[in-house]
Amino acid sequence: MSSQQSPKTQLAALSAPAVIFTVAMIAFPFCYSIWLSFQAFSSVGTTSFNGADNYVRMVSDGEFWNGLAVTFYLYILSLALQLFFGTILALVMFRSKKLPGIVRSLFISPFMMPPVVAGMMWLVILDPSLGAANYILTSFGLPPSEWLASPGFVVPTLAFIDTWQWSPYVALIVLGGLQALPPSVYEAAEIDGASPVKVLFRITLPLLLPTLVAAMILRSVDLLRFFDLIYITTQGGPANASNTLNIYGFRVGFEFFQLGYASALMVTLSVIVLGAVLVLNRLRDAVAW
Amino acid sequence: MAILHRSMPFAAALLAASVSWPAVSAAADFDWRAHEGETVNFLANNNPWSTTLLKYQGDFEKLTGIKLRVDSYQEQQMRQRLTTVLNAHSDEVDVFMTLPSREGMQYAAAGWYKDLKPYTEQTVSPDYKFGDLSKALVEAAVFDGALTGIPLNIEGPILYYRTDIFEKCGVPKPEKISDLQTAAKKIKECDSSTTPFASRGLKPALAYTFSNFLHNMGGSYLKDGKSAFCTPEGKAALTTYAGLLRDYGPPGVVNYSFYQLTSLYRAGRSAMSFQSSNEFPGVMEGGARLKDTALMPLPAGDGGSHPTTIGWALSVSAYSAHPDAAWYFVQWATSPEMQARLAMEGIAPPRASVRDNADYKAWLAEEPLRQSWQDTLQVLADQGTSEVGVPIIRNPESREYIGQAVNTLLLGTGTVDEACAAADQALNGLSAQK
Repeated sequence: MSSQQSPKTQLAALSAPAVIFTVAMIAFPFCYSIWLSFQAFSSVGTTSFNGADNYVRMVSDGEFWNGLAVTFYLYILSLALQLFFGTILALVMFRSKKLPGIVRSLFISPFMMPPVVAGMMWLVILDPSLGAANYILTSFGLPPSEWLASPGFVVPTLAFIDTWQWSPYVALIVLGGLQALPPSVYEAAEIDGASPVKVLFRITLPLLLPTLVAAMILRSVDLLRFFDLIYITTQGGPANASNTLNIYGFRVGFEFFQLGYASALMVTLSVIVLGAVLVLNRLRDAVAW
Repeated sequence: MAILHRSMPFAAALLAASVSWPAVSAAADFDWRAHEGETVNFLANNNPWSTTLLKYQGDFEKLTGIKLRVDSYQEQQMRQRLTTVLNAHSDEVDVFMTLPSREGMQYAAAGWYKDLKPYTEQTVSPDYKFGDLSKALVEAAVFDGALTGIPLNIEGPILYYRTDIFEKCGVPKPEKISDLQTAAKKIKECDSSTTPFASRGLKPALAYTFSNFLHNMGGSYLKDGKSAFCTPEGKAALTTYAGLLRDYGPPGVVNYSFYQLTSLYRAGRSAMSFQSSNEFPGVMEGGARLKDTALMPLPAGDGGSHPTTIGWALSVSAYSAHPDAAWYFVQWATSPEMQARLAMEGIAPPRASVRDNADYKAWLAEEPLRQSWQDTLQVLADQGTSEVGVPIIRNPESREYIGQAVNTLLLGTGTVDEACAAADQALNGLSAQK
């Protein structure tokens, strides 16, 4: 690079690889999906421009609305559970400074497991006939459950599995936030004689809000696009009770070969994810200290 | 109804031609080294056939000098990649595995298969014996006159049942579909620890097992070009299949596919399991079920006996840059020698000569149940129909609505009239789409 180049040119040259990479890997596929969403795919692979037909179709497609409802039900339930258990786990790890490393590693190990492996594992555990979960329930005289096979229970079960896997991840984020809290505030509270419960609810949790919102943003992106665990365990069933928008879009695209409509569904989902992130970003600004 | 349900004059001609095998001179000139140095990309479904075959990959490369590059995925992921590649008219894939009964019509209409008919006539090894392949399965791979794939195996749902439980409960071998319900009822009363009857309940997967009920009970998916679920036969099939699973099936049967069925039966927890013949090695793993199991096709119904019989096939992409070398791989993989090798590892052979092979017969004789498995498959080969789901281009999607109708009854969310009407409406809409 010549030393006579202006700083602006140098900046452009240095950032060019990153810009090219971003355009090639993110912008192009996204724009291509948008283009596809305005196409009609015949079942024999021919395409034609069909304007906004795919989006119009969505409005009258009961499966789309079902997918949207399932997506938000699963998202809200999982997020709430993960924030709750992740925060508790982080507080336990923060308070128990003498906790052996191996125990800490065990605490956080679930999220290092590939979701497909976790899905297979829970599929075996929750099998209504042969699984350990019902064996334990019935050993205590409790009635067995159909878990993933019950339309009313499938989403809470999926939320439970995802919470088991991802609460440790939230815990790590919250733990980082706890370690960054100013000690002076706690010293002042101690001098004032504040009880541990008051310290938790009046100091720790309010100060942790920006960290919790950051964790919410990270988990929201994943939860709204919930896919692998559902695909492994229920494929959207039973009776579409776990058919999230992402699963529905995948099946429409790759099993039924309606790539135009599937693209419209996925573009809509992307807009929802983007909207959620923007709202949460606003929230983060509001709670910043 | 025979498996040759899409009777096409071309197929008959093709088969007749193949039996007489006129291309003697072509065969005599055949050279396995003709494409030495070329590379063939094979997109495989990671199932027992491909994993067994690929143990011999080195033999193919040594024989032909062709390099075989394998890309292997689970079934659904393989289709996902395949549709992307073929839709882009890419030459990334030369050879792929396909289920003609599922996507055959769709892929053929899209022009994604290379017609293999000229290859079977002109570029064949003298010992290939094309006419030896199951006529029914060859026919099932013929679309609009083009031979789109060569059969790799033969399979279909069969009834695995526990002879010891039947004996203990005084239940005779079921002779008719209605006997299944009687048997299940008796077993439920006699042995509460056992699931009387199990089969597929998972919505996208159950068309495979349900189709046999529909056909045996005299029903068909289409009547005069319209969906026929609301015919008396269609409703009877829905009620019978869903009723058996709801009243006598395992808890959570609505999520059941091959994996759960095999686990349940192998663990000795189901008395009857109507599932794929391909699961035979898995069911018998560990040997616990070898001595207390019998096999049979689904009992006949009012419409007779029409077992579901399908098979995977090996196809060459229409966009392959090396179609001739790709055909060499297809030919090697479906040769009598390779199919005999695979048969002895539990892959049901689509070739008559393999079934008569001395080594294979000796392997079957080692266990009486193996012979029973082969005998049942022979019934499937002789009497089967490959109609799984509605025979339209959008067949994969049709299976969704069939599954939905069964699930409605299974979960008790609607009556049979509501379920069949919803299925008919959806399937007629699907048939009308291009």
